[in-house]
Amino acid sequence: MNAIIKARGLRRSFGQVHALDGIDLDIPSGRIVGLIGPNGAGKTTALKAILGLSSYQGELSVLGLDPARQRDQLMQDVCFIADVAVLPRWARVHQIIDLTERLHPNFSRKQCLHYLEATRIRPQARIRTLSKGMVVQLHLALVMAIDARLLVLDEPTLGLDILFRKRFYSNLLNEYFDEERTIVITTHQVEEVEHILTDLVFIKDGQLVLNQSMEAIHERYTEVMVRPDQVEQARALAPLHERVLFGRHILLFDEPDREKLASLGEIHRPSVADLFVGLMGDNA
Amino acid sequence: MSTLANLWSLMRREVWESPFAFKWTPLGIGGLIILFTIVVLVLGSRFDAQMAFTVDAMRMFADMPPEQKRLLVSGALFASSNLVLQVMLLIILFYLAGSLYDDRKDRSILFWKSLPISDRVTVLSKLLTACIMVPALFLGAIILTHIVLLLIASSYALMAEINPLTHLWWPASLPRLWSVMALGLLVQALWLLPIYGWLLFCSSWAPRLPILIAIAIPAGLSIAQHSYSLISGFRLPELNLGLIMLKRLGSGVLPGNTTINLGNGLEELQFSEDLYLSFSGVLSHLLRPEMWIGLLIAAVLIFGAIFFRRRATDQ
Repeated sequence: MNAIIKARGLRRSFGQVHALDGIDLDIPSGRIVGLIGPNGAGKTTALKAILGLSSYQGELSVLGLDPARQRDQLMQDVCFIADVAVLPRWARVHQIIDLTERLHPNFSRKQCLHYLEATRIRPQARIRTLSKGMVVQLHLALVMAIDARLLVLDEPTLGLDILFRKRFYSNLLNEYFDEERTIVITTHQVEEVEHILTDLVFIKDGQLVLNQSMEAIHERYTEVMVRPDQVEQARALAPLHERVLFGRHILLFDEPDREKLASLGEIHRPSVADLFVGLMGDNA
Repeated sequence: MSTLANLWSLMRREVWESPFAFKWTPLGIGGLIILFTIVVLVLGSRFDAQMAFTVDAMRMFADMPPEQKRLLVSGALFASSNLVLQVMLLIILFYLAGSLYDDRKDRSILFWKSLPISDRVTVLSKLLTACIMVPALFLGAIILTHIVLLLIASSYALMAEINPLTHLWWPASLPRLWSVMALGLLVQALWLLPIYGWLLFCSSWAPRLPILIAIAIPAGLSIAQHSYSLISGFRLPELNLGLIMLKRLGSGVLPGNTTINLGNGLEELQFSEDLYLSFSGVLSHLLRPEMWIGLLIAAVLIFGAIFFRRRATDQ
């Protein structure tokens, strides 16, 4: 297993606040990892450390490099889109393509123009005049035209309509992703990425709450919808979380005895959103 | 090799970002100088309707000894570029103060840092833009202005039946004039490097308003020093940071900044083209100890700018 990202005891504090409180993480290549957590959990701080954009304590290696000291080398094989449109507003579309082509050895202008053909973005347009969705489209076209080994997306679809978000993820999966590549995504819209993730990482208060492959998570967690008269029986099995929907009680269990649960009600595979609520607590 | 190519691309980027300041401003000032010349000539023709005086003056000029003609033509051209170069200095100072700050403010630093370019090369590209790229663009505008001014003068020469080539273009010694100016611009950049470095340094860490911070720190220090000298019985200290910086900005090798050595008194000052049109005069600045002390300070400040740029993100 060749780890793309390897972190040991990763820490970063802002005064009294521990944005990252000793994280151990291994991300092998060929995975799509969802980094999910409530606001202020440390997602962006972790990504910034991985991208060499901030300092940190502890051990961290990305593609075998130290991000804080070798960012320029690292960026030959790593791409990222931050949570807001960060393309320079003064530039024209063709200028930014030109610059990326000149400055990035792994960039393919042909690929980029191919992606842009599907959009209404004109090469002469100034980025200032593009809508938010178009800026993200442009940024994505630039990034997908780079032959990188690690792609980091920090809330890439924030503020975009649902049609665009669907197309975004299907492009990513069908045209970009392969075993040689790794994608790390943070987002609040977990339902949308759920079906493309291979691994799930939950982060809360700077610590990892969950870090497993989707298969392992499906093995491990089970939800059961219980009839009201059997709720007490089910509660005795120590559920992680309980919620009520249309008068039915839905309980989440970690590594339960499935046969026993089946006798209590209908068994489900919990969605990522349900898991999130169950593991992070309603008041997170 | 690829570092050089990257530097070149990044410097072009700077021109793309500020086309108004770097391209249209010098052309605009050149245009103003030409416009002003034309207005004066038109006004003159109102008083001299038959052009008799103008033609006379042209012929008198043509009869002057060659050295005198050289001094007049090349001197006038040299002086005409004064305004362009003063504005250039202002533009460079403001450009440098914002160069490592603006992308932090609008968060586009996150895009620039996603490119495989080291922070050292980024900072260097801003410095080289200030030292080479902008002076080259302004010199280009000056050269255009010179040519247009000479063309206007030539039309008058033709009117006075004087050969414009031998009496205007040849005495203008254009290749020499332009190459001395180019060299002067480079030496001037070296001379001002500590100031440039200071602005870059402030630009790379200032949380806001880098230009004000860059002015306030030396101004505050020199005022503090000055106040202290008031308390200590009016013994003004010899070294005052604010004055040193102002003096450096105000002196240099270009028109308007030329330092004329008046060691022997004003009477002995000979107006000759050696005052401005000599390579050795420009290069002699490289031998001054102040130049090398300045370069040393500049190096420290530039390293400081790179240090803070490494840690800079969008906040």
